[in-house]
Amino acid sequence: MSIWEKMLNLDRRWIFLLIGIACVVPFFTPLGLPILPSAEVLGIYDHIEGLGPDNAIFVGFDFDPGTAAENMPMGVAVLRHAFARNIPVFITAYTPLGQGMAAMGLAEVTDESTPDYFKYVYWEEWAFVREQGIIDRAEIEEAWIAEGNSLPENASGWVFEGRDVAMLGFLPYFHLVILGMSSSISSQYPTDVGGTPLEDMPMYQEHKSLREIDLAVTTAGSSACMAWITYGREKIGLPIAFGVTAVMATDYFIYIQSGQIIGQMGGLRGAAEYETLLMGWSGDGIDREAYASTPGKAFVGMDVQNIAHLLIIFLVILGNIAFFAGGFHKKTKLKGRR
Amino acid sequence: MKRSIPLAIVMVGGILFMIQYFIPHQYSQTLFDYYTEWAPLVGAFALVLGVGSLSRLHSHKIKRKAKNWQYSYAVLIPLFGVPFFALIMPESLGGGIMQTMGGDRVTQGVFDFTYMNVQVPIQATMFSLLAFYIASAAFRAFRAKSALASVLLIAAIIVMLGQVPIGELIGKWFPKIGLWILRYPNLGAKRAIALGVGFGMLATQLKIIFGVERNWLGGAGE
Repeated sequence: MSIWEKMLNLDRRWIFLLIGIACVVPFFTPLGLPILPSAEVLGIYDHIEGLGPDNAIFVGFDFDPGTAAENMPMGVAVLRHAFARNIPVFITAYTPLGQGMAAMGLAEVTDESTPDYFKYVYWEEWAFVREQGIIDRAEIEEAWIAEGNSLPENASGWVFEGRDVAMLGFLPYFHLVILGMSSSISSQYPTDVGGTPLEDMPMYQEHKSLREIDLAVTTAGSSACMAWITYGREKIGLPIAFGVTAVMATDYFIYIQSGQIIGQMGGLRGAAEYETLLMGWSGDGIDREAYASTPGKAFVGMDVQNIAHLLIIFLVILGNIAFFAGGFHKKTKLKGRR
Repeated sequence: MKRSIPLAIVMVGGILFMIQYFIPHQYSQTLFDYYTEWAPLVGAFALVLGVGSLSRLHSHKIKRKAKNWQYSYAVLIPLFGVPFFALIMPESLGGGIMQTMGGDRVTQGVFDFTYMNVQVPIQATMFSLLAFYIASAAFRAFRAKSALASVLLIAAIIVMLGQVPIGELIGKWFPKIGLWILRYPNLGAKRAIALGVGFGMLATQLKIIFGVERNWLGGAGE
């Protein structure tokens, strides 16, 4: 057996070991290479940057735990951006497991251990503010602080349940839910997952149907995102943005070019680009406000991708060298392949 | 009768909602609102059928001690266990949302526990395994055997390097060419496929609505 044949018959467990090392080592020795945001991600960021407390967006956690490594940082980054700009966010899920993902995403943004977290204020906690008839975002915060509440040192801001966020969760036949929400959101979701009536929420009173929503960002690990285009974009003209896994990203460039979606975060790279923008990236000469002081999980994860991609390319080139140098392209049969 | 009534319902419903889409009148909207309320209810019956069918299949498997019958317990126990615990412990509904917000990461309830400690790790592990198998498969099967395969191989390497920051360190043009491949050649091919699939779906739907395609009734169009 020649050296080339031995190389091609390399036990796949060695490859598994190399990939394992490539995935673990970068966590201990971060590279922290700069990431340049693409036009597709800038499209989403700039759109949200143009919104404020008078607007509202939907964020769909339309993925299962399998693709959470890629999709979760996208959802978290968009939530962080929206909360920083006091944009009300309705959170939905296309699948039952997606609701748990949405809960985890919101928990991450509001967790005290997260750098630059947002202090969550439960619906019941700020009841006294609503009883005074205050629904304006700035006035709510003013009244809340006047009551003696102060923002914790590491926190970036407040998130008032029912004014800044409503966790709507999962409903079956979600394409029908989107259709139904084009008439009225509360017809599909009379309450949020905690049982608070939507009709009582200030954010619902200002945005009663999808026609009054300014953007829907769907973070998806399957073709679930297409429901938002078919029933949200095409029926009522709702602006849509995608956050999809890297393998799916190639499928959806056609919708960017046609103008059916305003942008797309593709895989971990897309999420890392968004995190870069949240940190105030100004590589294109535009001064941006920094909403985060530290990079998120996608940015850190890109170190792993750097090494893993290089390793896979190295293996492909090595395999081809062995294939041609060993003369196997002349239909020589390989033996004992494992 | 057994076949003509379902065919008539599909034909009337299909034509009605095709027309409804283009009529912005209030009556049309009301009809549509009724539909969006009714459709999930009708769909709920499918759930009953599905659960019934799955339960019967696996209980028979256990009774007959068919091959791998032990795994049928892994289907049946969660199938009935999760709704049972959800009913007796309503606070566990909602994916643990009330327990995880505001920094209180207290996991309560069987639903939360199984979701966080079984479902999430299992699915994450399954998906993570892809990285290992893709690397192994790429090493063994990704060969520049022909001109077309060579083009594919070069494009893949450029896109892979373009996707990671280290690619830019190797060559400034990697991200640019990678994006160009995604935005133009990839887009053209994907659009052609999408249009083909779209027209195919349209033709199939029209065949179903007008009763030409009847496989969905069972009996292969008899």
